[in-house]
Amino acid sequence: MIVVWKLAQLETKMFFRDRLSVFWTFLFPVVMIWLFGSMFGNNIEGNFSFAALFIPSWIGVNIVTTSFFTLGTVLASYRETGVLRRYQSTPLQPWKILAAHTVQGTVIFLCSALLLLVFGMLMYDLEIPVYAGSTLAALFLSIAAFFPFALLITSLAKNTQSAAAISSLFLNLMIFLSGATFPLEMMPEVLQYTAKILPLYYVIELLRGTWNEAPIFEYGFEVFVLIGISVFSTILAARFFRWSDR
Amino acid sequence: MTFVIKVESLSKNFGRVQAVKGVSFSVEKGEIFGIIGPNGAGKTTTLEMIEGILKPDSGSIDVLGLTPNRQLQQLNQQIGVQFQSASIQKKMKVKEALDLFAAFYPGEARKAQLVEMLGLEEKMNVRFENLSGGWKQRVTLALATLHQPEIVFLDEPSMGLDPHARRELWTLIRKLRDQGSTIVLTTHYMEEAEQLCDRVAMIYSGELRALDRPSALLEKSGGQLITFQSRDIPYVKLRSIPGVVKVDKEDDTFKVYSDDLQLTSYHIFTYCHQENLSLMHFQFAKGTLEDLFVHYLEKEEAE
Repeated sequence: MIVVWKLAQLETKMFFRDRLSVFWTFLFPVVMIWLFGSMFGNNIEGNFSFAALFIPSWIGVNIVTTSFFTLGTVLASYRETGVLRRYQSTPLQPWKILAAHTVQGTVIFLCSALLLLVFGMLMYDLEIPVYAGSTLAALFLSIAAFFPFALLITSLAKNTQSAAAISSLFLNLMIFLSGATFPLEMMPEVLQYTAKILPLYYVIELLRGTWNEAPIFEYGFEVFVLIGISVFSTILAARFFRWSDR
Repeated sequence: MTFVIKVESLSKNFGRVQAVKGVSFSVEKGEIFGIIGPNGAGKTTTLEMIEGILKPDSGSIDVLGLTPNRQLQQLNQQIGVQFQSASIQKKMKVKEALDLFAAFYPGEARKAQLVEMLGLEEKMNVRFENLSGGWKQRVTLALATLHQPEIVFLDEPSMGLDPHARRELWTLIRKLRDQGSTIVLTTHYMEEAEQLCDRVAMIYSGELRALDRPSALLEKSGGQLITFQSRDIPYVKLRSIPGVVKVDKEDDTFKVYSDDLQLTSYHIFTYCHQENLSLMHFQFAKGTLEDLFVHYLEKEEAE
């Protein structure tokens, strides 16, 4: 376990040495919220404030960013440059490597979520979640669904570039079509159905819901879908995981 | 003699390509053993089967009493591997890499000793991506030997190093051996094999072609040669002289490889005497592994 902790610590440190990933994970969401906030911060229809809708969604988007870029793309590059291969001839067991990266990803995601929360509270009078325990449970469930899902998708890529390309595609699709940024009600019917095949849709429903309206057990369907994705992709990711390109 | 590695009739195919065909050899404790051959000969494949990363199609491997691909976890406690192309995280500092890898092994790692031996002190806070090729090689060598492994595997350790760095690396490898490790390395630099290895296995197109001490290999056929200068002697005539394996000609200088120096010399002298040709600077010479290697390759292509 010491090794898992040590590796997680090191990977976190190295994450912060890479300015680009720091920008995309921490600053980009803040800038986006600020932009959307200045566009329609004051004229949101319905019962909830801009912040109450947008900040939970962007926390959800950050789960996608973390799982596809901090985890998936980085592991694809480790596969390509032989970092994973190098581990193969040490007594380090494979699950410890994945555990360490999961811990690192979770820590980085939680930091970014905290940043968004504080930003929302300071700038847009965001209130802390009504069902805080439920929101937290929803976050961990979303992580459990998205981390293996992203690992699976990016392990299909041949190299780092294609892993990054796949990740960008998924991220952009989900940002715009899952209701995270634009309300689904504004969209044509076809797109509303499309949203429901994107996993992020369920994360956002669950996060917005527990943040503003009801505890997690009232979202049985969303919880069910996310558990399904989690189990399904964990099994497939383990099955298709490769230590090197060959 | 104690063997630490014993390989018998090892074969491996990748699809239709037979990468390794029925290779057998053993490695003695405490020696520097070289696997040599041209690029794509099957050296790395052989090495990776011994390391347990690749599963052989047929044949048996015994490393320290273990079957590598079945007992990888135990094997990895006792071996250290430096891969040809594998690296560590770009943004990891040397110090961090040493700490991390030390944590993989039970017991006290000999970090301080290695840092001193490899002169890593001044580079401890440098990120891996900012190191030159020679320093990267030193760091990965340190990572492979932190736990004082029984066997150290080095895949093309001097690839891309300048001659100076290469010589320094040889000194380090000898030191590691003196500290009790057995070294198994692959190389396609024949000079490296000759200078560094106690024994070499020569592999070409997946087959074992020769296995011996470098000096013994050179004493055998093709390794011995006669050099002389002559203006008049025809190349074709030389090829037909008994014992001659190969003739190289550069301006007036001939290199005649022979498997019977005495016989060949006798015939050259007799011929020159009869034809009244002049011979100059006639001498017996010792070939290099490189000559021997080219000789094997040419024989292969001729067949």
